[in-house]
Order: sequence, then C-alpha cells, then structure tokens
Amino acid sequence: MKAKDIIKRVLLLEIIQGMALTLKTMFTKAVTRQYPEEPRAAMPGFRGLHALSKDEEGVMKCVGCGLCAAVCPSQCIKIFTAQGLNHEKVVERYEIDTLKCLFCAYCVEACPYGAIALTEHYEYSDYSKESFYMDKDKLLENWDKYMSGDKGNEYFKRFWKPMSIDFNTSEEQAVFKGWDNNK
Amino acid sequence: MTKTKDALRQRELTINMGPQHPATHGVLRLVLEIDGETVIKCTPYVGYLHRGTEKLCENRTYLSAMPLMDRLDYISSMANDVGYCVAVERLLGIEPPERAKFIRTMMCEMTRISSHILWLGTHALDIGAMTVFLYSFREREWIMDLFEMVCGARLTVSFPRIGGIRNDVSQEFLDSLYKFAEEFPSRIIEYETLIDQNRIWLQRTKGIGVISAEEAVNWGFTGPTLRGSGVDYDVRKYMPYDAYEQVDFDVPVGKEGDVYDRYRCRMEEMRQSVRIIKQCIEKLPKGPIMTPDAPKFTLPPKDKVLKDMEAMIHHFVMLTKGPLTAPVGEIYSSTEVPKGELGFYIVSDGSGRPYRMRLRSPSFVHVSALPRLCVGSLVADVIANIGTIDVVLGECDR
Ligand code: SF4
Ligand code: SF4
Repeated sequence: MKAKDIIKRVLLLEIIQGMALTLKTMFTKAVTRQYPEEPRAAMPGFRGLHALSKDEEGVMKCVGCGLCAAVCPSQCIKIFTAQGLNHEKVVERYEIDTLKCLFCAYCVEACPYGAIALTEHYEYSDYSKESFYMDKDKLLENWDKYMSGDKGNEYFKRFWKPMSIDFNTSEEQAVFKGWDNNK
Repeated sequence: MTKTKDALRQRELTINMGPQHPATHGVLRLVLEIDGETVIKCTPYVGYLHRGTEKLCENRTYLSAMPLMDRLDYISSMANDVGYCVAVERLLGIEPPERAKFIRTMMCEMTRISSHILWLGTHALDIGAMTVFLYSFREREWIMDLFEMVCGARLTVSFPRIGGIRNDVSQEFLDSLYKFAEEFPSRIIEYETLIDQNRIWLQRTKGIGVISAEEAVNWGFTGPTLRGSGVDYDVRKYMPYDAYEQVDFDVPVGKEGDVYDRYRCRMEEMRQSVRIIKQCIEKLPKGPIMTPDAPKFTLPPKDKVLKDMEAMIHHFVMLTKGPLTAPVGEIYSSTEVPKGELGFYIVSDGSGRPYRMRLRSPSFVHVSALPRLCVGSLVADVIANIGTIDVVLGECDR
C-alpha cells in the first residue's frame, strides 16, 4: 500500500487523469453560446414581459376586476376604471411597473378571464426608466407582437387550461413510460 | 524610536474581508484579526441583504408571501417553496394529492443537485480548481432548463402551491429529467476525477475546519454540514414530508468532520438525489395535482370561476384576503433544504395572513459558527471554511 502510494505521488497519476479529462473535453461540442448573435429560444410558458390579451375581434379582454392588482405580491399593477357611455365599466388605465415585477405569474393565475399573459420576450433592457412602465397601449401592443396568431390561445390552453381540469383525472397525464437507453 | 517600531511590528493586524469579496459568496463581512498568517479572532457581520422577509409576510396572504420564499436561498428556491407550502399545509390541516407530492419531491431533489453543483463549483474555485467550476455550470444549466420547461422560470420558480402544485408536468419534461438522471452520475465521476484525489485539493481540505459531532450538534448545525461530522440527522428521514416516505434513499455521513468529509457528503447526496428522482418518475401516479378536499384554502379550478357563484366568491376572497377560515394556532414545521434544516414557525390568528412568521435558516446558524471554525487556522483556510458551510446570504439575512 505504501509503495503504491509513493508511486502514485511520484507519477502524478491523479493530475494526469484530470488532464486527460480536460483534454477529452476539448474535442466535445461547445456548450456555451455566443449570446447576442445566437439568441436562445425560451421554453413555452416562459414568464417574460407582460401582455394584455385580446379576443378574436381584437378587443381587450380585461374587464377591470382588479384581482390581478390585489394578488400581485409587489403591487406593481395599477388599474383605473371609469363609467362608459352605457353605464358599463371601462378600463381607463392599466399600468404595470415591470421594474418592480417579480414575474411570478400570479396575475395570470388570478385573472378569471385570461386577460393577462406573460410572453416569451425577455430582452427589453433600456436606458430610461420610463420605457419599463407599461401602460395599456404598450401592453396591448405586446400581445400583437409576441402572442399573435395561435400562440396566445396555445398559451392559455397549454399552461392555464390544465389548472382547470386538474380536479378530474386526465387520461393524458404524463407518467413514466419506460426508458430506452439509446434515446 | 526603536521601541515604537517594535510595538508596530508585534501588533496584530485587523483586516476586513468582504462584504464584496468574491469568496464570501455574497455579502458576508468578516473582520479578522491576524497574527502573521494565523487568525486569532474572527467576527462575522451579517445583514447586508436584509429585506425584512418575516415582516413582509405579515402583510401578505399565504399565497402572495410565497415569491418571497424564492428569494431566501435563491439557488434552491424550489426547496424553500416546498418547505413553506408544507408548513402552511400543516397549519391548515390539508394534504396535497399523491401526484403533487411526487412532483414536489422530484423538484426538491433537482434543487438539491443544482445547489450542490453550484456549491461544488464555487468552493473548488475558491480553493483554486477552476475546471470543476466550468463543468459544474454545464450541468446546472441543464437543470435550469428543466425548471424552465416545467414552470417557465429558471431561478425564482414559485412552483408549488398550498395544497398542490401550480401546473402539471409534461411527458417531454419527464423524459428529459429521466435522461438527466441517467447521465448525471457519470458527470459526478468527472468532477471526482478532477479533484477527489488531487493532492492540492486534499491538502487544502483534509484536516481543515474540523468540528466534532458533539460540537456540531451544539452549534445547531444541520444538513450536510452536520452530516460531515458523522451525525445522520436528516429531516427527510426523521420527519418525512411529501413523498420521502415512499422512496428509498440513504443518508451519507462523514467521519472526521473536516472540509473534505463535508465535500464527500455532498457528492454522495447528489447520487442519492438522482436515485430519488428516478424513483419519483417511475412511481409517479396519475391524479389531481391540487387537493380537491379543501376548497376554502385553495384556488378553485379556472373554468368553475365564471360558472359557479360559490367558486367565484372563493376565488375573490382567496386572492384578496387569503384563506379566511384558517385555524388559529401556531406551528413549527421544518424541511430539509440543500443547506440544512429550514424551519417555519407560523402563528395564525385566523385571518388570511400569518400573524407572525419566523424563519429558521440554516445559513444563519452556520455563519455563527464561523469563528469556531476559523480561529487558529490560516487565512487561506478561512476561504475553505466559508465554502464548506455553504452559506447563502439571502437566507442568512432574510
Ligand atoms: S408577474 Fe407577479 S409581480 Fe409581476 S405583475 Fe404579475 S403578479 Fe405582479
Ligand atoms: S387582467 Fe384579469 S384580473 Fe386583472 S383586472 Fe383585468 S380581468 Fe381582472
């Protein structure tokens, strides 16, 4: 045992093993990414910049119930409603201070109408503070920009629909289906 | 003249380490009194990251307080969330369904791996092994991607909910996670090839920061920091929560109680975590992910909200006021997070918010023992000691 240890020490065996590993890694594919040139696609359901959703006719879905503002842990949503011409409630201002936001998606979960969504957009750094203060127009614009077409519907279907059908056992629920080593 | 010179020469030197020292893992400040290379006094100063989490919770409903838990120990947010949910569930007397339990357990173990590989990378970097850091971040990225796949966020997840979880996992996620669990052990071997036998690593870790089992218990150590000294205390075994009773795993313990043994403990823990993840995936039952028996404490299903008057009222009350029928009383509940035992002491006065919430964070306890570990050692070993207790200041300062 002792002699073996001495041989190991003199031959720097463990160092050579480590070096061999790093040498081997040199010939594998790089795991890093040249970020601004190679952007990374967010996974579906990513919690990024907010958007106020529109229905098929392009009308804002929000009714101004204020639940999202009530549940928001950082209290960064401000809603001002007023009375419309036919005595209905209209959302006059809807503002989110994204600098305060935690991106917890509680607002999405709270909204009974599916009127607010978190988009997959995350690159919105800027030099001025004002550009992070999202008003109604900007939020509606975000919907057109990042959730256009089917994407918006998919978002609510995929990520918010399951929340509603959880109470019944769903047949399509994911379970372990065996493992194939070559996969 | 010569007299003052001698006096100058013999005085101990007081140096300030941190709060912006890269090796203090955040904003820990240590005031060290050193005599040559030997530390003779060490005083930790904490509180630079104090955000008043405990006080903030008093003004939030049980649901809205959860994102704050993400930010306690920000590298293992999932485990904190689960700990918090378990505490509130015990207070409210509800039980999540089986499927949710297994998914939560799975997530906790993923967090453990992610936290331990971050620890391994930075600890090795502090001690001087650069390569491990690069390799460990490669695997950490993998776990982060898996988190993103399941809940849309990488770091501050807010995934579990009181009474269940936020959304179900997809088949794609389960397959990728199983693939990860299959491949990760070979990556652990890679890390071990690099440092396990490395003579520099051994010299910097063996016999450093030794603490006996008795002393470690007296200082209040928990988690791998305690198990390195040979005490097999693990909340997952002693007070099982979620699905830990239904999975099979070992609790690795060390012998000497030095930096090296704590390192070995954490490496073995990662292997055990992989084992737990695999069992959780294999045993994952079908079923609801939110408990259906506690409509007063959980959010009603979305499609019911607009159709059912009662559900709608519950929805509004839960979101604005919190669970108004919460029982009056107090509870202490602890869970095993990667750093040790995270305890929540909640006093409820029957309103929808905690009347008082106290957090027992492992990092705070471990930092308080730093003088014990550092005094008498060399300055260079202070770095090894900070690394070995795996301190995260977000949790320590709260
Ligand atoms: S994501 Fe969370 S913090 Fe941000 S606006 Fe919504 S509820 Fe508020
Ligand atoms: S976004 Fe939804 S929750 Fe918020 S005010 Fe509009 S309808 Fe209500």
